[in-house]
Amino acid sequence: MKKKILVVDDEQNIRMLLREELTDEGYDVIEAENGAAAISAIKDQKPDLVTLDIKMPGEDGLSILRKIREIDYDLPVIICSAYSVYKSDFSAVAADHYIVKSSNFEDIKKKIAEILSYQTS
Amino acid sequence: MSSGANTDRSFAPSLDDEARERLRQIGSADIIVGIPSYNNGDTIGRVIRAAELGLAKYFPGHKGVIMISEGGSAEETSRAVEHLGDRRYFESAFITRPDRGTDIFVTKYRGLSGKGTAIKAVLEAGRILAVRAGCMLDSDLRSISPEWIELLIAPVLLKDFGFVAPYYSRHKYDGTITNMIAYPLTWSLYGRRVRQPIGGDFGFSPALMESLLAKNVWETDIARFGIDIWMTTVAICENFKICQSFLGAKIHDDKDPGKDLSPMFTQVVGTIFSLMSLYRDTWLRVRGSRPTAIFGFESEYAPKPLLVDSHNMIRKFQESASACRQVWERVLEKETCDKLLEVVSFEADRFELPVQLWIKSLYDFACAYERLPDGLARSDIIEALVPVYYAMTASFVRKTQNLDSQQAEEVITEQCREFEKLKPYLIECWSAHQQEGE
Repeated sequence: MKKKILVVDDEQNIRMLLREELTDEGYDVIEAENGAAAISAIKDQKPDLVTLDIKMPGEDGLSILRKIREIDYDLPVIICSAYSVYKSDFSAVAADHYIVKSSNFEDIKKKIAEILSYQTS
Repeated sequence: MSSGANTDRSFAPSLDDEARERLRQIGSADIIVGIPSYNNGDTIGRVIRAAELGLAKYFPGHKGVIMISEGGSAEETSRAVEHLGDRRYFESAFITRPDRGTDIFVTKYRGLSGKGTAIKAVLEAGRILAVRAGCMLDSDLRSISPEWIELLIAPVLLKDFGFVAPYYSRHKYDGTITNMIAYPLTWSLYGRRVRQPIGGDFGFSPALMESLLAKNVWETDIARFGIDIWMTTVAICENFKICQSFLGAKIHDDKDPGKDLSPMFTQVVGTIFSLMSLYRDTWLRVRGSRPTAIFGFESEYAPKPLLVDSHNMIRKFQESASACRQVWERVLEKETCDKLLEVVSFEADRFELPVQLWIKSLYDFACAYERLPDGLARSDIIEALVPVYYAMTASFVRKTQNLDSQQAEEVITEQCREFEKLKPYLIECWSAHQQEGE
């Protein structure tokens, strides 16, 4: 069965690019543009992993991460932010991994595969 | 450390009759705050006041008990409680003193002297009082605030966590046994990133309390400094829901890692290695690592500088090398041992122990502790590891001397990732020994 990835980002272009890249890797991809949509998708569609932007209008990614941890303690989350500065925020330690966005998606694809492989092993 | 019959000395109560009578009078409680102490009369007053204020402010509808579990002079600690006097600190903290006050009492625990036995007495009291949550606080804390009680108790009471580990802002050179050994080994072995696995301040659920009390370990090093890593490891391996709470600064009595840490080192590392044997089925199948949820509010804080004498640690490493060489040669893989002996000759101003060499050495020591080469006692193995730990700590100090604490934290995180990457080496080494034994 295909693994399901939830991409949470307010920028449609980023969601689209990640969808294309991850679909090519054989994943099912669902999208959310803000915290409320993300939480709803997690509850309803039970993704296997979440990629999460931090800087978004309204609720930020670190606040969403706290909510995710309350809903699903074990759901893997990769923070995918344009800013490295949030890496030092203590809240970010609740994420499995922190990736600074770039045009190269190899890092995030590699990390997703690695984390999901632990789940199936 | 296997389970045994309840007639074992390990299960003898750590509470004396007087303490039991006191608990019987109290009847029941919702929350217990335990403070293990060993003659900490000078500092414990602050900790008790913070705990009492925290219970009143954050859990006014809950019945709280504060128990000081003393290993030294109960008289001196009782005087510190008497000095709390008329509780004027409630007024100055703008916190209403609840009608139903918090019971505070001091008891001298029975059994093997050490922090673990002090904690066992608190757990026994929590069982008698049928508490719904509990926490432990170190008695030499200088930076504690009432919020710590909320942060350690609320995840258990409100969110069903079984174990709440602390998460502190610490100076980059405070907690070197944590940073060099306990944190990376917990990360790599059990796949759980718990930043302070031997932090002395933590919250616990009644279920975890029962699980810990049921174990036949209280006559081992766990009854001393091994208690914290044991509790964290049990919580992880027995699938208790774990989180961390950000408590801010941890300021306590300073400890230079080059001085006076040997008993703590021996007990903590000995416990970690013993637990590797006990939980081998768990860690051998764990791959990768997972983060741990975190609660709290981060405030900007510059940790108090801690001066560390790296030259002293390098000197101790070099001076111990000839005495330890024979053990190193029997414990370490040949290549690792040769490289380590090369490092001995490095001058202090160029000194470096490569992190991969440190990790492989530590993994070899863990395997040797399990297989016990002929003629070596476990204490010999730990003793021979101490200088290598000094070398690693000195190397870390030199590498991070111009970095701020956040940058040093990134170095520690990278080291943990190296521990994770090199785990197959440990598995291979461990499994080879198991096959030899078959």
